Amino acid sequence: MKKFALTMLLALVVFSASACTLGVDSDGESITIYSERHYDTDQILFDRFEDQTGITVNVIDGDADPLINRLENEGEDTSADVLLIADAGRLHRAKDKNLLQSVESETLSNNIPSNYRDSDNYWFGLTKRARVLVYHPDRVDESALSTYESLSNPEFEGRVVTRTSANIYNQSLMASFIEIMGQDDAKAWAEGLVNNFARQPAGNDRDQAKYVVEGNADIAIMNTYYIGRMMNSSDTFEQEVADTVEVFFPNQETTGTHVNVSAAGVTRYSPNPEAATQFIEFLSNEESQSSFANANYEYPVNEHVEPHDLLKSWGDFKAQDINLSVLGENSQRAAIIMDEVDWR
Amino acid sequence: MLRALKQRTSVFSVISILAALLIVIPMLNILLEIFTPASAAWIHIRENLLRGYIINTVVLIALVAIFSALVGLFSAVMVTRYEFKGRQLLSWFLILPLALPSYIAAYIYADMVSYTGTVGRLLRSINAPFSIDVMNMGGAVFIFVVTLYPYVYMLTRAALSRQSASFSENARILGASPFRTLFTVIIPLLRPAVVAGTLLVVLETLNDYGVVAYFNVRVFSFAIFDAWFRLGDTVAAIRLSGVLMLLVFVVIFIERIIRGKRRYASNVKTKPLERKPLTGAKRFILPGLLWSLMALGFFIPVMQLIYYATMTYQTTLNLELVYLVVNSLTLAITATLLTVFIALMLANYNRTHQSQLKHGLLKITNLGYAIPGAVIAIAVMVFFIDIDHALYPLYQLFDANAPRLILSSSLIMLTFAFVLRFMAIGYNSIESAYDKIGTTYTEAAYSLNASKWKTLWTVDLPLIKQGLVSAMIIVFIDVFKELPLTLILRPTNYDTLASQVYRYAREEMLQEIAVPSLIMVIISSILIYLLTHSRKKGVPANVRPN
Repeated sequence: MKKFALTMLLALVVFSASACTLGVDSDGESITIYSERHYDTDQILFDRFEDQTGITVNVIDGDADPLINRLENEGEDTSADVLLIADAGRLHRAKDKNLLQSVESETLSNNIPSNYRDSDNYWFGLTKRARVLVYHPDRVDESALSTYESLSNPEFEGRVVTRTSANIYNQSLMASFIEIMGQDDAKAWAEGLVNNFARQPAGNDRDQAKYVVEGNADIAIMNTYYIGRMMNSSDTFEQEVADTVEVFFPNQETTGTHVNVSAAGVTRYSPNPEAATQFIEFLSNEESQSSFANANYEYPVNEHVEPHDLLKSWGDFKAQDINLSVLGENSQRAAIIMDEVDWR
Repeated sequence: MLRALKQRTSVFSVISILAALLIVIPMLNILLEIFTPASAAWIHIRENLLRGYIINTVVLIALVAIFSALVGLFSAVMVTRYEFKGRQLLSWFLILPLALPSYIAAYIYADMVSYTGTVGRLLRSINAPFSIDVMNMGGAVFIFVVTLYPYVYMLTRAALSRQSASFSENARILGASPFRTLFTVIIPLLRPAVVAGTLLVVLETLNDYGVVAYFNVRVFSFAIFDAWFRLGDTVAAIRLSGVLMLLVFVVIFIERIIRGKRRYASNVKTKPLERKPLTGAKRFILPGLLWSLMALGFFIPVMQLIYYATMTYQTTLNLELVYLVVNSLTLAITATLLTVFIALMLANYNRTHQSQLKHGLLKITNLGYAIPGAVIAIAVMVFFIDIDHALYPLYQLFDANAPRLILSSSLIMLTFAFVLRFMAIGYNSIESAYDKIGTTYTEAAYSLNASKWKTLWTVDLPLIKQGLVSAMIIVFIDVFKELPLTLILRPTNYDTLASQVYRYAREEMLQEIAVPSLIMVIISSILIYLLTHSRKKGVPANVRPN
């Protein structure tokens, strides 16, 4: 009993020690990032920022919506300076809730094309990803593919897979369609697409590619960077899957391929907005952008930076010409339509 | 005597009432949101989705409850009633699946049967005309049953090893066949244990988000996150958890009605059940079933993890893991000690007081287990930010430039949330340990003028040590693998093993979860081993192998 009590006591001491040292920053300047991105390569970027500026970077990572909720609850007392999350729709939601502030920065205006940042400069896209069609070349002829819209045609019955409607990338895809074709047509399209599903949606993006190779389906709707990352997987069988499938950029003759961003904004009540702006500027510079591009197969937003060779091999493509804020404006409507057509 | 007890134990009641208030206030805070006007999102959920959520949830918990009750009961009866080779080993091995979080099992099984997985490739190589798909309701039931049945197994085995042989002997004397004795005497007497275990399984299932989100099984925990993330409506999410709590109460209420006025306590102190050797083909088939169960719930997933680890250890096995292990361990130990301490106070309060207040209090403090982790997280965060605002003048006394949010940006917030969430498990284990010893020893100590604390420390604690230790280990393992609270409430730059697993899984880097997952499984397994093997120090009949 005594030994046990002693062990427990020791654990308590260690715990209190770690708890006390936690929130204590060094005397130097620091910023706090609420981040949804937490690839190991992102941490390398954060470290590089620290080295170059002497500003310490503290991170809380987690899912985007709980982070937004935390910002909301903390209000003006938050210690967060930067919100760094994927999906323009969510950033728009944060802006709507008055959690971000407008930033005037010539560097950011130069580095980031205007359609990939908020029109009032509340958030700035840092990396792009295209939502493309991935198909099995033995079973689908490239000439049969044209648009997202065509996927709801009868010829693709039982041949299409994608993730669930709970997935934010599908929700934003739907939101972009509401903008482009109007609510009624978007709903009719979704209805046709759901009828053509090869299976009840489940799993993640990589699973969709596997369904295609397995023969469960012929075409998957998924994000570009997953193909790159599967090619780089620690599992050689996943690499084979990625090598087998082909990528197709839909709507090239029409409205363009759906593109989304991961993006950052300075929080409304940031204790250190200058350093926060400096941090986002740093992420948009050519060095950081090329690191994003090469490590994670995302498209850099900075036009002076080349994408990864794999992405270049797919060629240039035409992206949807919409302001990404509409993804946020339409997100709830998109969710409701997807429920109505029973996209599960 | 009772009155004397009452006065002496006031310290327990003070701590109990304080703890109960601390637990209730955040909940009230959040439940009040239910009375705000319905939003468009909520109307959409109510009109179009709620029915489906309720049906799916009822189907899922009914199937999981039935199968885990059967599996748990079967395995408990086997290891306590029959003698066969490997029985001693199995009697603690069967608890091991608790060390493997359901969400990790789900990732692993989905990957194994997928196109690139071990099983998927095997099926293809033998030209099997089918492939296995686990990403559906059936798959979810499978995952929950093989990872959670140990709750039923543990409680049922404990009850069986306490069951007196006289009941079944009487049945045999009256001419009942062994088969009939099993089904009409032994199993009915186990009902409270099986029900209590199954209830734990059901509550764990209701609380899971990882498995159902990955498999796209649309049950309540899915719905709550969906309302929050996809529809962007936290109030709708809270309303949904209100409905879920109602559902939980209905389940518990139905159980009460079925049980009616029957009581199961038995103080007959006679020789325990004797084990019969298995004969014939049964010698191989029945233990074989148990080993397969073990394989499904533990060995196969762990072997797969080891295989992943060989692929990824070069990038994931690093010094940072030491920091994660220290964080996970210290956090889990602190939360466990606090939870068990408060549970102990509550249990003491319970056995020495008789009042309506008491019953209400205990019910409320046990509520945490029925509320989804994400909702607790929101409630606790709002509560701590309020406290920080109230304490701000105090902070300023120490440091004029003090930040306003101190408690809510510290580990205290997360620890508190764990206590709230897992109080029920701690309390119920301790209460059942107290039930067994009654109050006579305590009363004797009081009548000899021993102080409350001295009595607790020198008389009560040694008597219930076994219950206390098993409470600690179950709470510890639960905190250790907990996800939503950890993710939402942890302070800056703070990570645990579970959050590291989640990070890789989120990025669809399944093979990379292996190293941190294995460390979690190993630590929890060691604890289970210790729990089941400390016989010398007088540890519990209810948990040790027999």
